[in-house]
Amino acid sequence: MIVAEHLRKTFPAKGKSKAPVVAVDDVGFEARNGEITGLLGPNGAGKTTTLRMLYTLMQPESGRVLVDGKDVATDAEAARRALGVLPDARGVYKRLTARENIRYFGELHGLDAATIEARTRALSTALQMDDFLDRQTEGFSQGQRTKTAIARALVHDPRNVILDEPTNGLDVMTTRGLRDFLRQLRAEGRCVIFSSHIMQEVAALCDRIVVIAHGRVVAQGTADDLRHQTGESNLEDAFVRLIGSDEGLHA
Amino acid sequence: MKSLSSIKTILQKELREFVRDRRTLMLALVLGPLLTPAIMLGILSLAESRAKSQIEKPLDVPMVGAERAPNMVAWLAGQGIHRKAFQGDLDTAIRNQIEDVYIRVGDDFQKSWHEGEPALVEIVHDSTRQDSEIPVKRIEDALQRYGQQVGALRLLARGMNPGVAAPLAVSHKDLSTPEARRGMVMAFLPYLLILSAFIGGAYLIIDTTAGERERQSLEPLLATPARRGAVVTGKIAAACLVGFTSLLLTLMAFKVGAAFSPGIGRQMDVSMPAVAKMLMILLPMLFIGTSLLTFIAAGAKSVKEAQSYMSVLMLMPMIPTIALMVSPVKNQLWMFAVPFLAQNQMLLKVVRGEGITMEQWSVYLLAGFGLALVLWFAATRRYHQERLAISA
Repeated sequence: MIVAEHLRKTFPAKGKSKAPVVAVDDVGFEARNGEITGLLGPNGAGKTTTLRMLYTLMQPESGRVLVDGKDVATDAEAARRALGVLPDARGVYKRLTARENIRYFGELHGLDAATIEARTRALSTALQMDDFLDRQTEGFSQGQRTKTAIARALVHDPRNVILDEPTNGLDVMTTRGLRDFLRQLRAEGRCVIFSSHIMQEVAALCDRIVVIAHGRVVAQGTADDLRHQTGESNLEDAFVRLIGSDEGLHA
Repeated sequence: MKSLSSIKTILQKELREFVRDRRTLMLALVLGPLLTPAIMLGILSLAESRAKSQIEKPLDVPMVGAERAPNMVAWLAGQGIHRKAFQGDLDTAIRNQIEDVYIRVGDDFQKSWHEGEPALVEIVHDSTRQDSEIPVKRIEDALQRYGQQVGALRLLARGMNPGVAAPLAVSHKDLSTPEARRGMVMAFLPYLLILSAFIGGAYLIIDTTAGERERQSLEPLLATPARRGAVVTGKIAAACLVGFTSLLLTLMAFKVGAAFSPGIGRQMDVSMPAVAKMLMILLPMLFIGTSLLTFIAAGAKSVKEAQSYMSVLMLMPMIPTIALMVSPVKNQLWMFAVPFLAQNQMLLKVVRGEGITMEQWSVYLLAGFGLALVLWFAATRRYHQERLAISA
């Protein structure tokens, strides 16, 4: 369970000192266990910055984040243990095999060899990565790299999973496989948050949708709620109405 | 305890990646440590054999106006300095580096000689050319002796004691130890060793800090529960291990080289205690270098930016060597606390076979490891910055 309350983050302006750029302003939502929560918004809306505050890589200027009821500011290390994170940056180590990449993160989480071995086997089956598990990741396809990155993010069996645009650059078949995997995580009672700028994807997968535009939450609720709120019967029209323009929708 | 196991994990992973990169491994651990001593020993033995041949071999020198001083030419021939036939302009030949030196007997040589006045003999050479140094010295010495001999004979012929004309008997008494003399030849050894200690781990550090950021794997790493301090320490430890291995191999190569080339063995102390002392001296430098590079690389926007600091860093160990060359100062205790200068002085002491007092050791190690600790702390602080994790 992840709760974000009134998050705000600004970045200093580049060049001649102008007003700082407000990346995220008063963002708050609740992501429950056993549900998939989608962060939907056009490019540059502040999704990645919001997620970075959730997984403690950035400190919010105001507001707070609760993971399983505990404030991440007081114990970031415990929060990181409770979270499995696929960041926007998902570089894998080229000279290590996929298995070694996963093992490295498992060891950093303080797991013993037997646990890592068992988790690797389970994740490899779930993500269908058996045939490239023991190859060095140099020359991996985008899909193979993403699978490796997801597997190493989940090696410690976290209750909460945060994925930043997980389907970026993946083909249809891999995307379908990934969706099934996310549903499986939900069925296991985990709290899953994922961000996307593709509306169809969010609609197909999410129990709750948080629409972010210009650093603010403009609407949240189920797909039906959003349709209801805007009076549009088509979800895409509802989304366009919510973010106030059709910018970035197809980017 | 948790941090300790994180450090171990990170250290192992960085080393595994490094070892799998065969080409870099070869460059860092084989070519570097072998090439430097090989080149150095090669140049040294070349210089040695050249000096030997120039001193002992008969010297053929063009002589202008030799017919005016046949006795002198005959005497020079007895000293191994022979007349050589030459056509064309000798000044041009020297400028064009065809000839090293020539002797010109003055036009009035015979007249002055018979009247008992100083007769002119010129040694013509280009003093900026190192090649002419030894021949010129040989000719000068020979002419000096000839002059003294003839002068003494002249005094005897006039019934006087030649000693009257030599009120001073100047002679040299060299108090340098044999160890110190071989140290002179190896004056540039400290710079080489300090440099390889200082930037020996550079590749690994830049690759695992700025490089990891560029390859977008730093953000996932920093999202793990591993402490930032443990991450920095693991990476620094890996770089230090690689640097230490490289240093050890370099010194071993010197040792092996010395066994093959006995001339060099006499020039430099490569006994096991000396090697151990040198490693001990270079250890703080290794920590200082890798911590400083981590600090720089963690602040740099890209690998390219981090690498462009390298040329500046390579100059730093040179500063004390050059400063000491320009104005040599006596060893004082404070010097053992100044980075680079301290290493330079300590290494010279070892190479020259001089003892190092306990006081000097403790000041040196305290200052060295102290500075390394400060830099390590600064690097850790940089790892706590938000913008480090965010790759552009």
